Amino acid sequence: ALVMTELMQPDSRRCTYFFLYDGSKVKGEGDLTREGICYFYPEETPLDEQELLCGQLAGAGRCVSELSSSPVCVLRLRRNKFAIRMKDDFFWALGCPVEVPTISVCELLDQLINLFRFYNGSVRRSYQLNRPETLASRWAQYLSHLQSGSSDLHHIFSCLRTIDATNIDPLLLLKAALILQACQRCPLVSAGCVLFRGRVVSTQISPELTMKVMVHESETYTKGPRCNDPGTFNSFGGAVSSTTVFLTRSSLAKFLPFSKTRLSRTLSNTPSTESEPSDAFSSPSFSRRLSDSSVFSPDPSQSGADPTPQQPDPPFSNGEPSPEAEEEVPEESNYESFHSNGNGVSQMHNEAGGSLFGEDSRLNGGGGDGDAARGPVFDFRGAEESRDHNVFEEVSGGGCGNVQGRGAESPDPARSDDSPLIPMTLYLHRVKGLVLALLVEPCFLSDTDSMEEVYHSSLASLNGLEAHLRTVSPGASGPQGPYLFAHFDCVQSTLTTNLSARPGGALQRPFVRATSLLHSHFCNTETLQEAIIRSAGAAVYGTRSVAQETYFQQHGGSLRNSGIPNHQDSAFSLPGKARHRLLKHGVNLI
Amino acid sequence: MKCLLIASESAEVLFHWTDPEFQQNVQKQYGASQEDGQGLPAFEDSISTLFAPIIISCITMVDRLRDSYTSFTTENHHIYVLHQFDECLYIAVNGDGEEGECDLRRKIYVVKKMTEVLFGMVTLSSNLLRKELRPQDTEQRARLWKHLQSLLQTYGHLRENDQSFLVEAVERLIHPTLCEQCIEFLERRLVQQLNSSGERAGEEVMHAFILVHTKLLAFYSSRNASSLSTSDLLVLIIMAQNMYPSNTDSDDPNPEVENDRRTSGSGPESFYTPEPSPPPDRGSSSSGGFCGRCCSMAEDSLQTLEVPPPDPSTPRRVFLEVSLKDGLYPMMPHSMYCLPLWPGITLVLLTKIPTSAVAMSVYTFLEAFAKLEKRLSEGQEGSAATRGQRTIHEVRGKLDKFIKALGPTEIQVCWIEFKNLAFTRGGPGFSRHLIPSCKKMKTQLCAVYRQCFLLESGSSSIPQRLSPGLQERAQSMVQEKLMDWKDFLLVKSRRNITMDFPGLIHFICVDRSTGQMIAPSLNLTERNTSELGKGPLAQFIRRKVWTLVNTTRRYLQKGYSTVTFRDGDFYFCYFLWFENETGFKLEAGDLPVLSDDSAPIGMLAWDYYRKLLRYYSKSHQGEVVKCYELLTVHLGVVPAEIILQHCRQLASKLWEPSRNPLL
Repeated sequence: ALVMTELMQPDSRRCTYFFLYDGSKVKGEGDLTREGICYFYPEETPLDEQELLCGQLAGAGRCVSELSSSPVCVLRLRRNKFAIRMKDDFFWALGCPVEVPTISVCELLDQLINLFRFYNGSVRRSYQLNRPETLASRWAQYLSHLQSGSSDLHHIFSCLRTIDATNIDPLLLLKAALILQACQRCPLVSAGCVLFRGRVVSTQISPELTMKVMVHESETYTKGPRCNDPGTFNSFGGAVSSTTVFLTRSSLAKFLPFSKTRLSRTLSNTPSTESEPSDAFSSPSFSRRLSDSSVFSPDPSQSGADPTPQQPDPPFSNGEPSPEAEEEVPEESNYESFHSNGNGVSQMHNEAGGSLFGEDSRLNGGGGDGDAARGPVFDFRGAEESRDHNVFEEVSGGGCGNVQGRGAESPDPARSDDSPLIPMTLYLHRVKGLVLALLVEPCFLSDTDSMEEVYHSSLASLNGLEAHLRTVSPGASGPQGPYLFAHFDCVQSTLTTNLSARPGGALQRPFVRATSLLHSHFCNTETLQEAIIRSAGAAVYGTRSVAQETYFQQHGGSLRNSGIPNHQDSAFSLPGKARHRLLKHGVNLI
Repeated sequence: MKCLLIASESAEVLFHWTDPEFQQNVQKQYGASQEDGQGLPAFEDSISTLFAPIIISCITMVDRLRDSYTSFTTENHHIYVLHQFDECLYIAVNGDGEEGECDLRRKIYVVKKMTEVLFGMVTLSSNLLRKELRPQDTEQRARLWKHLQSLLQTYGHLRENDQSFLVEAVERLIHPTLCEQCIEFLERRLVQQLNSSGERAGEEVMHAFILVHTKLLAFYSSRNASSLSTSDLLVLIIMAQNMYPSNTDSDDPNPEVENDRRTSGSGPESFYTPEPSPPPDRGSSSSGGFCGRCCSMAEDSLQTLEVPPPDPSTPRRVFLEVSLKDGLYPMMPHSMYCLPLWPGITLVLLTKIPTSAVAMSVYTFLEAFAKLEKRLSEGQEGSAATRGQRTIHEVRGKLDKFIKALGPTEIQVCWIEFKNLAFTRGGPGFSRHLIPSCKKMKTQLCAVYRQCFLLESGSSSIPQRLSPGLQERAQSMVQEKLMDWKDFLLVKSRRNITMDFPGLIHFICVDRSTGQMIAPSLNLTERNTSELGKGPLAQFIRRKVWTLVNTTRRYLQKGYSTVTFRDGDFYFCYFLWFENETGFKLEAGDLPVLSDDSAPIGMLAWDYYRKLLRYYSKSHQGEVVKCYELLTVHLGVVPAEIILQHCRQLASKLWEPSRNPLL
């Protein structure tokens, strides 16, 4: 809770208004506008102002939509800009100050609606089944979550908060990844992530999905384990809880076919994989070795390069019978093929990894030699996903064109409200500040054996990991210097920066402003590769590739300048400086 | 899919312009909602019904939330931009992706500017402007709307195709010797002769200029004239182009064409119809050059209208800014004579009309009342409300005389009422209670102004203008002078300058202090090969240049005066800098940071650069500050140092005193 509150800045709320208005409640002459207001933020807004905004925005929005035969997606006032989503009779509006890039406002609203749908399913059905007050508190919760800990840069980039990897032993990240992989041996487990104090340590699922999962995590974290919670399992000492979540078919498809092949890919990204590492890592015996705390060696070569797996052991060290025998036939055969023969498994993984992910691995490796060493271990979302990514990068066109482009990546929630949502279960296993979150088949909860197996197989590792992470001092940030930078990884949705988390530093403001403008420009112009912009106060360099955006400002320098073209102008040496300076932050711009 | 609409606060449509796609879209929707099989309502009614809820909602938001809509964007990329000037709401729509939000906002400001040039200070009274924009008489309304629609269309065409309208600065033909000869000719021969003629009906030629297409060959202002602002000059070029459009798609000067009639069109979407014109009852409605496209989409009731033929010698009434020693007088009445010399080459004369002193008085009075009203509504009272120059006390005596001269009119009643309230002992004096009376006086003054300058004295009196014979003489004098040059000029206007920097693809250089620009041409038609040749590459570059200008404006709006970027295979640079008169580079200061919905950056509708110069000069008292801009497009493979060297050379060479760059 400390980390969260520390970062929470009450005046840094990027959202000034948010409301959901249900036009179907206000059809007749005598119907009051207030009857259509499902939720309005800020909640303390006087009711007549709420009615005014809902009524006018929804009315004007509908009128424009009819004229153009298409829903309104952005509405600007002089002092606020609103992302709008219209679906059937629902009208969502999320307002931000005008300085926030339009694309970021739209992203925030999509995230918000997607979050609601993730935990509650269809919006219309939720409102049929639940009391509006209950759902209002959920909107409030999701909104507050999305706004928590947001710095100025978070207003621009919607990014995952990750643990600060610069002072964390890479082996810990590897360890976290292996815990997840071990859990995936249970066929009912799709994929998951490991979180520590509201930050991602390792994830196998897409950034969007990880962000969603984190909401529940932070909720249970702040509430603390409560044994009478319906989603809590007493048998595990209150450490395990679960909740139903809803995935769209497309987001499910993104990881289901690949979830079992992730092992080799994740490992191919790690620095300690000189020779055929996936064989060694994926064998059950190795994972058992890792679950032994003795493997927490500070020397990567010792654990990573251990070439001699021991004789195949039962995969679970707690001595319980392996669950294969109880599995139903199709499941069993599936399971067998993965687990009964270590070599077979490896081979499958290699094939899959080679054919499907070879390119991705290269992309990743090329992106920042030693991604894993400097950042949490992330999975790419699969070949399909990265192709999606390219598509959205290519979509362009001014203003809203881009909004649409991004929309393609995280499908417009309003439009896809009809698309069937598939219920899954989110399983959380908490060890103090550390949480193992897994997306599992709903039947997992009734399958005691599988649950115990997953629980016990990971318990020791989680304890060990928690003990190590706890000792890492959270405060120390990366090296400071006479410059500011921000590096956004669009694939993993992570942000690396040397800006302090507190918003509004006078020195940082010109940088944030320039970054905001350049980010919008990059989003609107697919062919734009790099830019230098200079005001009287600051010169900022921005560059981007398919996978990342980097912004850099050198302190001092360009201040006394006439602005006439001059090749000795320090602004034009920024690209070189950025390349040089950012190497030590693990950002490679070459 | 384009539309521009002006509406009153009561959601009455004061003016609309739509392209055929938008019109079809509206009719389709209206058709769909009209299930009872009745005929379609008049287009104006449909458009008014469809937009009414947006307009009313906009007014409600202003009233109750003190905030208003500035734009809507739909998922299929339609953009609606809204802007309110006083009590008129302007809405511009684009649904074909050709215009962005900033283009639409610019268009709104341009229409506003055009109404100012056409109606002058009548625009200062929303009430009168409403009547002016939407005359009760349908015939008159049709004429006016067609004229405005046509101007808007011409502007749109120029903005899309002409670099000088892209950057909003005037382009000169670069031929120093000829230019000088022409200026001398205009001064010594033409203007002198005209102003000493007895057939000028009291008018005095203040400015004379020759346009080759949209480029300026020579410009002469008489000694006692104030300088013509770039903004006004650009609008006048639009008006001249609207009357005698250049055929930008064909460069073949056709000597067979009659002097005063253009027979070829400007582009596929407009063609010239020998234009009818109304009896000279009002200066603004006598224009020719309506394009066919506009005619075809005018409202149903107006389509059958037959407009009588124009009198080509009738000048257009235009209202232009005049800056004198004692201050700036906006929207002063002038007459504009547009005399075609050959297709593509036009002589424009601007005359001061004999009664223009009245306009200056009216403006002084208006300003005094406006200032007073502003202060009173800010809560200032008594002497605090009447401080400063041109106050109500100062103008009181003059206004007494002025109103007396007008004779018994409504304004007299209002003035007496005002004086009773303001100056009577024991009366309310200068307090809030005076505000309605101020408003009334302003409206009355605008009405007087309208009476004097917008309504001609009627058909009975002799039309006041340079006599047709005098105009013809002027025309033939200049024709004679330029006879040997005309073909050269037409070609020259297509290839104004060439450049010789390997790797440099294009540049635009603008002197914002004088409002002039230089750029290699980017004509993209079959017959004209520009520096880039023709075909898709040239088209591509052209699109890039247009986008570049918009992008750099966006950064300039946010205070960035240097912008470079690598985009695809190209490297773009933009620089804005200040110099003093001797060419010494001044330090780049903080530029103002403007909001997203601020007035467009440019010189046509709202002179951003004039304000910028004023802002910057505050920290450079006693120096004449000049402002320059340079945009370049290079091949991306050229090393950055070379690019910057090119830019540096261009920046220093282009405005050398010889004005003969890179030839």
